[in-house]
Amino acid sequence: MQTIRLKLKEEITSGNAKIPIDVDSLTPDKLFGKNEAEIKAVKVWWGNREENTGDLFDVSVEGEAGSVEEVKIVMEGDLSRVKHIGDGMKAGEIEAIGDVDMHCGAMMTGGKITVRGNADCWAGREMRGGELIIEGDAGDNLCAMYRGEMTGMTGGKVTVGGNAGECAGQYMAGGEILIKGNTSILTGLNMKGGKITIEGDAVMPGADMTGGEITVKGKVLDMMPSFRFVGTTTIEGEEYKKYIGDLAMTEKRAKGVLYVR
Amino acid sequence: MVEELLIRNGVVYDPINGVNGEKKDICIRDGKVVEEVRNPKVIDAEGRVVMPGGVDIHAHIAGGKVNAGRLFRPEDGRKGREAKTKVCRAQSGYSVPNTFATGYRYAKMGYTFVMEAAMPPLAARHTHEEMVDIPILDNAAMPLIDNNWMTMDYVKSGDTDLLAAYIAWMVKATKGYGVKVVNPGGTEAWAWAKNCDLNDAVPYFDVTPAEIVKSLAVANEKFEMPHSIHVHGNMLGHPGNYKVTTSTYDLVKGITPYRDRPTMHATHTQFHSYGGTTWRDFESKAGAIADYVNKNEHVSIDLGSVILGDTTTMTADGPMEYSLYQITGRKWTNHDVELETGSGITPFLYSGKVSVHTIQWAIGQELALLIKDPWKLALTTDHPNAGPFIGYPIIISMLMSKRRRDESAADMHKVIYDRAELPSIDREYDLYEIAIITRGMTAKTLGLHEHGKGHLGVGADADVAIYDMSPEEHDAGKIQKAFLNTKYTIKGGEVVVKDGEVVAAPAGRTFFVTPECDSKLMEEMLVDLKAKFEHYYSVSFNNYPVQDAYVPNPYEIKAPWRS
Repeated sequence: MQTIRLKLKEEITSGNAKIPIDVDSLTPDKLFGKNEAEIKAVKVWWGNREENTGDLFDVSVEGEAGSVEEVKIVMEGDLSRVKHIGDGMKAGEIEAIGDVDMHCGAMMTGGKITVRGNADCWAGREMRGGELIIEGDAGDNLCAMYRGEMTGMTGGKVTVGGNAGECAGQYMAGGEILIKGNTSILTGLNMKGGKITIEGDAVMPGADMTGGEITVKGKVLDMMPSFRFVGTTTIEGEEYKKYIGDLAMTEKRAKGVLYVR
Repeated sequence: MVEELLIRNGVVYDPINGVNGEKKDICIRDGKVVEEVRNPKVIDAEGRVVMPGGVDIHAHIAGGKVNAGRLFRPEDGRKGREAKTKVCRAQSGYSVPNTFATGYRYAKMGYTFVMEAAMPPLAARHTHEEMVDIPILDNAAMPLIDNNWMTMDYVKSGDTDLLAAYIAWMVKATKGYGVKVVNPGGTEAWAWAKNCDLNDAVPYFDVTPAEIVKSLAVANEKFEMPHSIHVHGNMLGHPGNYKVTTSTYDLVKGITPYRDRPTMHATHTQFHSYGGTTWRDFESKAGAIADYVNKNEHVSIDLGSVILGDTTTMTADGPMEYSLYQITGRKWTNHDVELETGSGITPFLYSGKVSVHTIQWAIGQELALLIKDPWKLALTTDHPNAGPFIGYPIIISMLMSKRRRDESAADMHKVIYDRAELPSIDREYDLYEIAIITRGMTAKTLGLHEHGKGHLGVGADADVAIYDMSPEEHDAGKIQKAFLNTKYTIKGGEVVVKDGEVVAAPAGRTFFVTPECDSKLMEEMLVDLKAKFEHYYSVSFNNYPVQDAYVPNPYEIKAPWRS
């Protein structure tokens, strides 16, 4: 096992203007095989300037890795303006200690990211595989598509310990999302595949969905009127109402399933 | 200081001057091709293909609908992103690239002139603002004049002199290049939620598209206009439309052009060469169109060849975009331009697995291969409607390699073997013919060869493309690669691209035509026009014309009245 510690220097975020840092170049697959000096020389964007990782982060490397799966990156410090953590990562592990900025785990295809805090908008955007765990809350557009695209998350597993914002799983086509808290409006908007489970409450879930499955264990507020009740079913010993929809997308395309307790 | 450049030992293809693969030197001084130079910087083009800078006759690169396309397709904008460099500004987009990317990418393909094919007159300022923002390329834009209420009034009254006066005023007011026609009558009918076939009456105006086309051609030829009328005909993209297409060509037969050129340029002909009655029995009629073009001299065409993949369709043909939107169910936007024209935009994916798209793909190439004289056709994709301009090198490699066409066809829907002719055509283009359809023909058809474009004769603009390939190259992949990124592109004597990288990005010039009209006739027309402004326009007559400040690098071509 190899652990790469990246601690954001305090002075980087101590100013009045907190300039965002893009770290999509700091994934286990991109850092695998690099020594400490080489990691320090990897370029990251800080606002509109390209900087060396070593100028923004305190870098330390412990242990050796025989393969990328054995690489673990631990990010510490004030990560609230650190964007694109694990963006596009293929394998290995990232642990981010604290709240992280937008696009965490976007486009990832493999490996595991754990956020010990909240994640801002677009976490798991267009995720293809791997696992993303957010211990706190997730912002808007969790696992959604990029603006204008017609496919969001297609694979992998995402767990949110707290609440999620608007449009979680928009245009989702595959994979699994578990949200332990509540979600804001329009979870699974335009969803066409995959599975979303909300342990808390949801507002207008499943609008325009044409496939996939949403389970709401709490209350549904503002249930879409364009869903059809088709009977009851038992999940994990509990009775759920089963609806299909969204009929606003025409009868033929309304292949989405919504379970409500 | 005199800037001199010598391009040594290139294998030159300069069709306008009849130079077919001759090894020769090109001398450049102060941005022009000259007889000889004394103390030049030397570029060694030994064994490489050298052509004049490319001239694109039809593309949508600037203006209201192009920008609307960018705005409503952020997913397209995220493709092709490149950070700024010391020379280049930040780039984005694939089918609707930003203005900077448009200039750089064309230049990398060896193009130095692009015609913006559809300028809504009311949006002329916007169009010019964007053209100013497109680096490197010389450019021009054609105002849409066909669905205009003034035009239709004069067509109805049959007064082609007054129509000509209106054309003169409009082309001058918009700093435009010529007369563009898009679904004549149909776009106006779309305001009544209708469309028009060639001989249908336009609602309210009671004229037919056929009458509009014919009158505009007659009026256009009253001046020494460098270009003929530029026509996107009726029923674009409808199965069985090939008969409408040839009937449209017939309309201008017998009208004498002012000089040795056709009287109609029919654009993106692929979309107009369809057989069948529905999408189910849809088939290629490229053969019938090619046959017509082969037998007649009054029509030139461009291909509108399909590039497989995702693109953004955009045209002033509002009803067509609505039909397309009904097929795909994707997002769609529509726009009305007061009493002039309209437009629609919707994204579209051309897939080789879909029978209709496969046939469309075949038709564009069939037209190029079945029309015998390459001087009658131009390479276009109707960017971005049939595909983005960045796909031109793919089309070039297809036209030059039967093998590549066969390999591609094998991967596509099998309908290509039943309802298209392409697999049975053996013809392969040579580099001379490629030079014709990308430079020679286009410059000549636009009349730009008289203004230094599209050739390398003494006095021509020093716009040169040096491709990193030998004239003997037969590998389609290598041909495609060479045409995508030049070894050198030289624009006005300045090296702008070297080894596929943009090394300088000077501003381009805007070409515009000033038709000259008898002042009495003009006064008579202005009485009618001012009444239209008074009653219908949202802007006033005096605020309408594009002022000189919008064209900071002008090149004016005067078009005197023919007595």
